[in-house]
Amino acid sequence: MSIPLALASGTGRFYKHSAKIIRFARHGCTNRPFFHIVVMERRKAQHQPVIEQLGTYDPFPNEHEEHLVAFNFERIRYWLGNGAHLSTPVAELLGIAGLLPIHPRTYMTAWRNRRAAEEAAAKASESGADANKAPESKEGGSGTS
Amino acid sequence: MLRHVVGQSARILDTNLVCASTNLQFVRWRRKPRWLPVAKSKRFLVPERKPQDSDERLELLRLHNNYRTQLRSVTSYLMKEAEVNRKTSTADHLVLTPEQEEAEFQKCVAENEAWNAKIAQEREARLQKEAAEREAYVARKLEEARIKQEEERERIEEIVRLEKERSRSYITKENLDAAIDHALANPVDHNFAIDLQGNIYRGRDAGPSKPGEKSAEQAALTSGS
Repeated sequence: MSIPLALASGTGRFYKHSAKIIRFARHGCTNRPFFHIVVMERRKAQHQPVIEQLGTYDPFPNEHEEHLVAFNFERIRYWLGNGAHLSTPVAELLGIAGLLPIHPRTYMTAWRNRRAAEEAAAKASESGADANKAPESKEGGSGTS
Repeated sequence: MLRHVVGQSARILDTNLVCASTNLQFVRWRRKPRWLPVAKSKRFLVPERKPQDSDERLELLRLHNNYRTQLRSVTSYLMKEAEVNRKTSTADHLVLTPEQEEAEFQKCVAENEAWNAKIAQEREARLQKEAAEREAYVARKLEEARIKQEEERERIEEIVRLEKERSRSYITKENLDAAIDHALANPVDHNFAIDLQGNIYRGRDAGPSKPGEKSAEQAALTSGS
């Protein structure tokens, strides 16, 4: 990240009718991601000067197990109203924030997590039952696992 | 990766290695050039597709269809909102007639003048107060200087008076001979020792002292103490 930190209002230059996108720009350091939510020309690289910063997102939970997100909703509404595109992670955040409908990926992550948790629980209970059952099966002489 | 390049052929083959002097260098970035064909070991490799859960796929398709519809709706709403904002905004054009602008300007001028008058009044009062303070300060300083000068003059006059009194015993040309005669007639020898009891022991030049006898000086000392 060799560029100096830009103004929050942004210093990026852009064409009037070019494709804009609201997306993350990674501003953390090694092993510590931190994202600015920015609007910039879609074709530009991540660390080019942004048109405008619209918020921040800290993916690491803080000491109270909270993920901190900040949005400038007024400007997000403005840019969406002017036809800016959205990256999927930002669309997910905005869906959870309530400006947009919930993104399908949020549902998908949720049901996959749920299924993984259920499977882990089932496995744990099964292994627990096995551990309880093991002495009996030894006595009976027929092991079922 | 450390590679030793030997000979011209090797240099032609690997264009990433460019080193004239030592023919020895580290290759940090190495990829097959674009013009080389698929490797023999990978020629018939068909990458396996990840299996997809069909239920999940259908559900995601449904959700995405819904999401796109809803997003389009929200976006169109926001676009209308932006359009309205653009139309009602006065950021980039004038909304006042020249007369209104003139009236606004006159109003501002009047307000500014009122402020200026008020501040001028305050400033006048402040300056008067400051001038009065300064006058008092100067008067006080002058009085102090006068008193100090008088004290100085008195001190000097006292010195002069003492000096005049003392001048009566001065040796002048007129009484110089008398003073010399007096001094010769009364020699004073200050070369003597004295002990804790006040006994004075004269030196050899002044003659041996007699213990127990009190000289004029010793008498003065004892009477003074």
